[in-house]
Amino acid sequence: MLRVDELCFAYPGTAEPYRFSLAAAPSEITAVSGASGSGKSTLLDLLAGFLTPTSGSITLDGQQLVPLPPEQRPVSLLLQSESLFEHLSAGRNIALGLPARTPKASVQQQVEAALAEVGLSGIGAQPAATLSGGQKQRVALARTLLRARPVLLLDEPFSALDDQTRAVIRDLVKTLTIRHGWHTILVSHHNDDILALASRRYHLADRKLVAD
Amino acid sequence: MTLPPRPLRIATACLLALAIAGLIALVLWSILAAATDAAVTSRIDIPHLLRMTSIQAGLTTVLSLLVGTALAWSLNRLRFPGRDLLVAFFASAIVTPGMVVAFGLLAIWGRNGWINRAAEAVLGFPLGNPAYGLGGILFAHVILDGAFAARIILARLDAIPAARLKTGQSLALSAWQRFTLIDWPALRGTLPGLGAIIFLLAFTSFPIVLLLGGGPANQTLEVAIYAAVRQDFDLAGAVRLALTQVAVCSVVILAASALAPVPTAFGPSPATTWRDELASRLLQWLVLAIATLCFGLPLLSVLMDGLGAGLGSLLAQPSFWWSLLTSLLIGSASALLTLLLALALALGRGATGSPPLRTLLGIPAYAYLAVPAVVLSLGFFLLVRDLGLAPAAAAPAVVIPRSHCPHPRQAHPLAWAGRLAAVLPRGTAADRQGSGRHARPRFLLFAGGSGRHRPIWHPGFPNPAAADVPLARRLSQQ
Repeated sequence: MLRVDELCFAYPGTAEPYRFSLAAAPSEITAVSGASGSGKSTLLDLLAGFLTPTSGSITLDGQQLVPLPPEQRPVSLLLQSESLFEHLSAGRNIALGLPARTPKASVQQQVEAALAEVGLSGIGAQPAATLSGGQKQRVALARTLLRARPVLLLDEPFSALDDQTRAVIRDLVKTLTIRHGWHTILVSHHNDDILALASRRYHLADRKLVAD
Repeated sequence: MTLPPRPLRIATACLLALAIAGLIALVLWSILAAATDAAVTSRIDIPHLLRMTSIQAGLTTVLSLLVGTALAWSLNRLRFPGRDLLVAFFASAIVTPGMVVAFGLLAIWGRNGWINRAAEAVLGFPLGNPAYGLGGILFAHVILDGAFAARIILARLDAIPAARLKTGQSLALSAWQRFTLIDWPALRGTLPGLGAIIFLLAFTSFPIVLLLGGGPANQTLEVAIYAAVRQDFDLAGAVRLALTQVAVCSVVILAASALAPVPTAFGPSPATTWRDELASRLLQWLVLAIATLCFGLPLLSVLMDGLGAGLGSLLAQPSFWWSLLTSLLIGSASALLTLLLALALALGRGATGSPPLRTLLGIPAYAYLAVPAVVLSLGFFLLVRDLGLAPAAAAPAVVIPRSHCPHPRQAHPLAWAGRLAAVLPRGTAADRQGSGRHARPRFLLFAGGSGRHRPIWHPGFPNPAAADVPLARRLSQQ
């Protein structure tokens, strides 16, 4: 279980801090909604370790995460954009999810398996820059599979997609979350995404996270 | 303040472009006429000069790009109190005259410099005189151009989207992976254009080569032109050298314009907690320390010399105050004129919907690159001589060539003009449509006239304009 307890954060120069408390279960998608600027991305930055809270705790199955730097947190990220390095092939992007000294043959095999799981078999050699928006998000999800981190943070990942692709990627996220037991936290201001995916829902208002 | 009507803006820009083109044509014509008239055969070895200048400029370019990249990389990664001050300190290379760096280097590395005096005191013998010759020229150029390159490259690194950095950091990329996967793609489009500008700067370098060249072996075309006119009065040789220089600079400019232009957009630095591993951080601190010493020590030595015992007698000399006043007047007039011309050209470019006309109005940006200061000076010297003008005509003539188009190091003013031109069409679309669908939102949001000018166009103005005035002034004082 991922627990956020009384996590407080204030940007320099602001008097009133954000206060976050939530619980996210494995194999479930927990959604956080709120208006633009309400602090949704701040919450994800705190979970990912890009920001340091002034107080409070984040635990995963009892392990304290706050002292860990971003690269050591058991967290994968999927953002609206910039999830891939566009000058690399899809396969090389996915391989970045593996430890640095993984044998080459194993890398190839795992990349192919991950691509197959997200429904993109055979595109490993294709430059990321030539992929469609939906394909890019799938490739990023394939990399998440190889990273095998128990927490997946989604920051408006469907916003740049058309309706049809959006539905397909939403289904894929849901399937993978259940299959791999991820604690998935989705930040979105699109109600249809939240309604389609979320098992738990929170809303951010007045710098405070409240359960819906 | 309301902007002039669109046809007037276009007409003004066209007139200015024509005037600049006419001025350059006149200068080139006077040089070509002198070349035709000159019956005297010159003994200047142009192939040798061309080879030496190219080697010097090529090495300067490669070293400056390497140093600039290393310095920008270190500054981008490290966070410490006073970092912004240090960035500004390195950025000041843009307004540091080459002559100051050359004197500073001599004070540090010269025969009686700090290093040799320290070596004599400690070791009992001096370490030699590395400040002269090719090594000294390269050192001085790399101090200036490396810091200049660092400023441009740092701006590119600071503008990398925060989301890309977050992705990289969450993937635990190593320092090397971070550079190759995130930094390099952001930089590689910048380096060819930046390299071309540094090459041109080094190719046309004058005070540094004059002071540190150590003799004819390391002379560049620019210095050779000066020597031919001033010392040997070999006008035919000077003209041939000038034409060679114009030809080479034009080729480099053509190549540079075919490559990516130097971006001057300075994005905000995203707040990052991503620190590289310890070994990389140590390397970054080392780079920063060496760069600070190399750039700071020459300036410090000049400052110390300047504030030394001779300061009182210098300040008492009327010639000092006259020189200062002349420099300030020429520099300020050039800066003002440069900004006005750049703005007028940019407004005209932005106002026209015709792509060929936009291209034509952009050409003056390259004029100064193709026709360096010493060539312009030679051309004006020949013009003044041929027209039989009085020496009093010289002052405006100095201001005109210096301001009619900005210098390569500070491609900034016209880059700024280009930047304005890139923004302006958004406003002029509404102009062209008149009562079209853009007109009302424009009216509602910005009220038109200066009200529109400020929110849409003005945000680009303050920083570049503030930077361009000292730049133009610095160029005018070269």
